[in-house]
Amino acid sequence: MNIRTPKNWELSESAVTTESIYRLRNRRDFLKTLGVGLAGATLDPRALLAATAGFPDKENPLYPASALKPTAYEYVTSYNNFYEFGTGKDDPAVYANKGWKTDPWTVELAGLIRAPGKFDVNDLIKKLGGIEQRVYRHRCVEAWSMVVPWDGFPLAKLVTLADPMPEAKYVKFTSFLDPKSAVGQQDSYLGWPYVEGLRMDEATHELAFIATGIYGKTLPNQNGAPLRLVTPWKYGFKGIKSIVKIEFTDKEPYNTWQRLAPNEYGFYANVNPQVDHPRWSQGSERVIGGGIFSGRQTTLMFNGYEKQVAGLYKGLDLSKNF
Amino acid sequence: MEKLLRSKVFIWTLLILPGLWPVVPLLQHDPTFGADPLKYILHHLGFIACVLLAAVLALTPLRVIFPKSKLALALNRHRRLIGVSAFVYAALHLATHLVYEGGFGVLVSDVKKPFLLTGLIAFTILLVLAVTSLHRLVRALGAKHWKLLHRLAYVAAALAAYHQSAARKIFPVQVLWIFVPLALLELARLVITRRQRNRVLTPSGAARTG
Repeated sequence: MNIRTPKNWELSESAVTTESIYRLRNRRDFLKTLGVGLAGATLDPRALLAATAGFPDKENPLYPASALKPTAYEYVTSYNNFYEFGTGKDDPAVYANKGWKTDPWTVELAGLIRAPGKFDVNDLIKKLGGIEQRVYRHRCVEAWSMVVPWDGFPLAKLVTLADPMPEAKYVKFTSFLDPKSAVGQQDSYLGWPYVEGLRMDEATHELAFIATGIYGKTLPNQNGAPLRLVTPWKYGFKGIKSIVKIEFTDKEPYNTWQRLAPNEYGFYANVNPQVDHPRWSQGSERVIGGGIFSGRQTTLMFNGYEKQVAGLYKGLDLSKNF
Repeated sequence: MEKLLRSKVFIWTLLILPGLWPVVPLLQHDPTFGADPLKYILHHLGFIACVLLAAVLALTPLRVIFPKSKLALALNRHRRLIGVSAFVYAALHLATHLVYEGGFGVLVSDVKKPFLLTGLIAFTILLVLAVTSLHRLVRALGAKHWKLLHRLAYVAAALAAYHQSAARKIFPVQVLWIFVPLALLELARLVITRRQRNRVLTPSGAARTG
């Protein structure tokens, strides 16, 4: 391939756009062959998506695609854990696109803040000054990983907008509840809606991000449209999808997976190769899209973001606070 | 139907075909398969091993519950073949696991985890049972010892059921579809054999069925 290198972000953005269009067509062809069929323009998945404001956006040069190798769009959008739409990795791509509407979408800011209120997603994005692209590593607690070019805004901006009172020590995120559209929510085993939380210093950390898109495009439903938390130094389950409420509290939120299996999942969910899951090792990971013969890759402390976030956890016993 | 079920070729085909299933998503370019094909193959082989283990154990109760059914009888001819193929799939599953984990390192360091330990013990049992299925060894052991030893298959099934359910974050319902029917069949078999034994015992007081 012939590559000129004017600016890092310029190159990767153009590469990314062509690929994503190509991949999307592929995925739709695939769905069609399955008979799931996206017949006609009205069922085009992109027509159902809410957060369209801010595109096209530019890559934040601090988190460039050139530093990492992004996972192909078709894998990022077809290998998903989104139990609201089924427990199979292939379920969300199908069942989250069968009429579940993420447009319009309202998100509520509540709790110990001076500026509570309900916001339309696109209004909120404009209020926060638009979006940017950041390429982050993504590590699932199931010991696999991806690299995702996210679009969105820093969570810190939203915290500033909410204007928390000094008593606010934590941020609690709540996902949507709609068992009619979300087949997975018709089983009650998980205790819907999905809940996650962050400490205030984590929420205002520069890495904490709210995604509204991937690959320079609006976030597909199966990836948690229209608003999804991204905390790249934590396991993927911390990244709550399709957020409807952001609440500031003085109590540590009791997140869904911790409630389900407290010996396996904690509040912090920091990526830590030294602390194993009771059933499998966390020392290494499979790279999605690597094919059959790609080996495992060593898992890095805080998923490679140790320099940025280690300071948040000084003096904390990470083997107990996992 | 009975003729078909008696046919070795037919049963061989039935046993081999599921192993080839991953070719389907491969040819369809299924991106969920392509994301991590080895994981798909790993889970798939383990799944077939569990199904075949439950299937072979279900054959004896089927024959006891339906003593006049020619189909149950026909299927019982293939017990060894199905049992050995359960072992073969378990072996392929373990081999895939070693490739998936990149060698023996993780197996050794993680062997204390119940999830891996149960799988390994179940595999070891199947290995012993497969080896002792050779004609010569069956004869050398003698019917009584052989039968006793092969009761370990029930232990392997219980371990496999645990192992399979621990493989996912959430309890996978397929474990119930595979092992609950087997448990019910075994229960029915126990009730029937006990009744038969009582019937034999009461009039003469001496006769016993082994």
